[in-house]
Amino acid sequence: MSKEYTVTYIAENTYENWVDNAFWQFLIIPEENETQDLVSIDFSNSIHAINQFSINGYGFNTIRLHSRKKFKQISFEATFKLLKSFQEPTHLLSSPTMEDYYDLASSIDFKVDFEKYLRATRLTSIPHSKADLFQFDPNLSIYENLMSLNNWVYIYIHYTTGVTDVHTTLDEIIEKRRGVCQDFTHLFCAISKQNGIPARYVSGYLNHESGFFGDSQMHAWAETYIPTLGWIGFDPTNNILANKNHIKVCHGKDYDDCSPLKGVIYTQGSNKTSHSVTVVGQQKAVQQ
Amino acid sequence: MTNIKNQIFSSYQKNSDLYDEIYDSEGKIKPVYKKLFDIYGGHSIQDYVNLNSKAKSSFFNQGITFQVYGEDNVQEKIFPFDLFPRIIDSDEWEIIEKGSIQRSKALNLFLWDIYHEKNILRENIVPLDLITSSANYLDQMNGVNPPGGIYNHISGIDIIKHKDGKYYVLEDNIRCPSGVSYVICNRTALKRALFGVFNHYKTHTVTNYAENLLDLLESVKPKGVDVPNCVVITPGMFNSAFYEHSYLAKTMGVELVEGRDLFVENDFVYMKTIKGPEKVDVIYRRIDDIFLDPLEFRPDSALGVPGLFAAYKKGNVTLANAPGTGVADDKAVYTYMPEIIKYYLGEEPILNNVHTYHCSRPSELEYVLENIKDLVIKPVDEAGGYGISIGDRLTQKEIEQVRKQIKEHPRKYVAQPIMSLSVHPTYIDKSESFEQRHVDLRTFTILGKDKEFVLKGGLTRVALEKGNLIVNSSQGGGSKDTWVLKKQ
Repeated sequence: MSKEYTVTYIAENTYENWVDNAFWQFLIIPEENETQDLVSIDFSNSIHAINQFSINGYGFNTIRLHSRKKFKQISFEATFKLLKSFQEPTHLLSSPTMEDYYDLASSIDFKVDFEKYLRATRLTSIPHSKADLFQFDPNLSIYENLMSLNNWVYIYIHYTTGVTDVHTTLDEIIEKRRGVCQDFTHLFCAISKQNGIPARYVSGYLNHESGFFGDSQMHAWAETYIPTLGWIGFDPTNNILANKNHIKVCHGKDYDDCSPLKGVIYTQGSNKTSHSVTVVGQQKAVQQ
Repeated sequence: MTNIKNQIFSSYQKNSDLYDEIYDSEGKIKPVYKKLFDIYGGHSIQDYVNLNSKAKSSFFNQGITFQVYGEDNVQEKIFPFDLFPRIIDSDEWEIIEKGSIQRSKALNLFLWDIYHEKNILRENIVPLDLITSSANYLDQMNGVNPPGGIYNHISGIDIIKHKDGKYYVLEDNIRCPSGVSYVICNRTALKRALFGVFNHYKTHTVTNYAENLLDLLESVKPKGVDVPNCVVITPGMFNSAFYEHSYLAKTMGVELVEGRDLFVENDFVYMKTIKGPEKVDVIYRRIDDIFLDPLEFRPDSALGVPGLFAAYKKGNVTLANAPGTGVADDKAVYTYMPEIIKYYLGEEPILNNVHTYHCSRPSELEYVLENIKDLVIKPVDEAGGYGISIGDRLTQKEIEQVRKQIKEHPRKYVAQPIMSLSVHPTYIDKSESFEQRHVDLRTFTILGKDKEFVLKGGLTRVALEKGNLIVNSSQGGGSKDTWVLKKQ
């Protein structure tokens, strides 16, 4: 089965004063991978700046713009069409036991290969005083432990917008127990890493038809590396595994590696930014 | 003759605990300095005072200055220059030169490895944590192949001579080492002041640095470029080394630019000129990694060029030195240099390392905490002599302070025994006479595609305050012209 999606990303920026010179970098193009085929990209902006396609430091595709004329207001609109195929991961229950896993993970090669996703970052560090927030059960398999972690994060944090922002660290999130998808994801990743299981932050889009949390903005979820199975996506905001509704853009150590919009703006005074995302899906039967 | 000699050197006090560069252990002038000693002895102190003040004003007039940070008013200072040169004979120099190249090559192979296969980490010769916890380790450099396979195009290696008469490396500077312009200016200044002395020695030139630097930059041009357009990028005129940036650009005959003079389009870098955009292929960058590209690193950097890193990653422009190189000049990595040299080159290190204690290792931390007064404590990731504490100069209160800092961030500190830097006669304004002062030597090594070069001279830095062991210019050091003699 595969599904055709149309993703629309709109950003509007308004500045108090004239902007002479500005650069933007958008990290919003769906990744091409085993389950995602990009059909078309359409990108436009209100000041008619030329779109440049490039990469970021981790090799993910970006769109970059450079303004040449003065402006106070600018809007961007991107439309992506893609085909998403998805098969439920099947061998999940055969994932290694914790004991087998730790045997494997204690090898230096494993540590070197996965170091980047085992390293606690500014946004994925758990304060020392909260080191035992969630305990892995040695009698369960890795997959079962991660599923219960997914469920635990889902219950622990109350989905609330406007309390945290993209710079909020876990000490604050743990104290407030409120936040949005990136906070759920950072907490999930932090605990997974703390238990020696490589975890990465995924930025992308979520098909909103099913009424999930985090549907009118870009979404975030986690991928963890389970030996013999590979990278498996967990969406703690919705307490599910990543599935055909999750359209991946990129991954990184945390939000800082995946920030959808980066700008270098030469102006003074305040500015307002708004983003919106819509995802429309259409079931399509494909003969395999 | 003897009388006049007395005038200049009669009051020279020799401390027998120190290794003097011009007197041997029996108090006799070393043969290599003999002629120089006679010539200088032929002048009166008054001649000296005059020459010295002339040399000073010449530095000021040429704008050869640097700035000192951290004081209330940022001050423009000249780098004090001493008229009595340091001489290194050809045999000794050979060791220094071979040792400098050996270290630079080993560091380059090390950098390639840790940003690719990471074999040295897999074999646990250098601990994984040490690399990935370094503030200068760049994840983005993983898998990037810098043109020509070179990371540390320019290395500044700081070498001292200890009491035992042997050379030791204190640190390897492979981010943006500075000081080479002073080497050349010192030579010019000495020639102006005392041209005659050069007739008595066969000294290697130092003015060939710029041509070798340009040669290097051209050797690492991006693929598909025929004649590369090279530029020097500077943070601007307020940077402490701005004089050097402009000097190097001028002597290489290339443009000196700031970030705002460059832009990136479709992953190629261009320079704005009155004739329109001009493509840039090789950038000798004198700005730190995190300021290179605000879209990739620090977003508030006004010094860099948006999109520069993507252009680099795609192989369309060369950056010298490569981003992420600083991970290997971390002072904690320094301690593994003997192992690193053996691992990649299969050779014994030519230059010695100073024994170093890692505060990140519990057993060594304990030793350091108990023996602070016999050690030099250094932060692992600071340059320019900032943050260094010398144990035997600290008050009890300061020792407690340092102990507390180390306990809080053990990974941030290493400690070394207090090395006794050799001393050299240095003219001191205040006493109008020559006195012993501690000196070190920074060599400048260039590594390119099929190219190795060490500037035959280097910067001898002098700690002008009596007894001081820190020679960095930002800490009140001066410098001397350094003569490397040709083989007889």
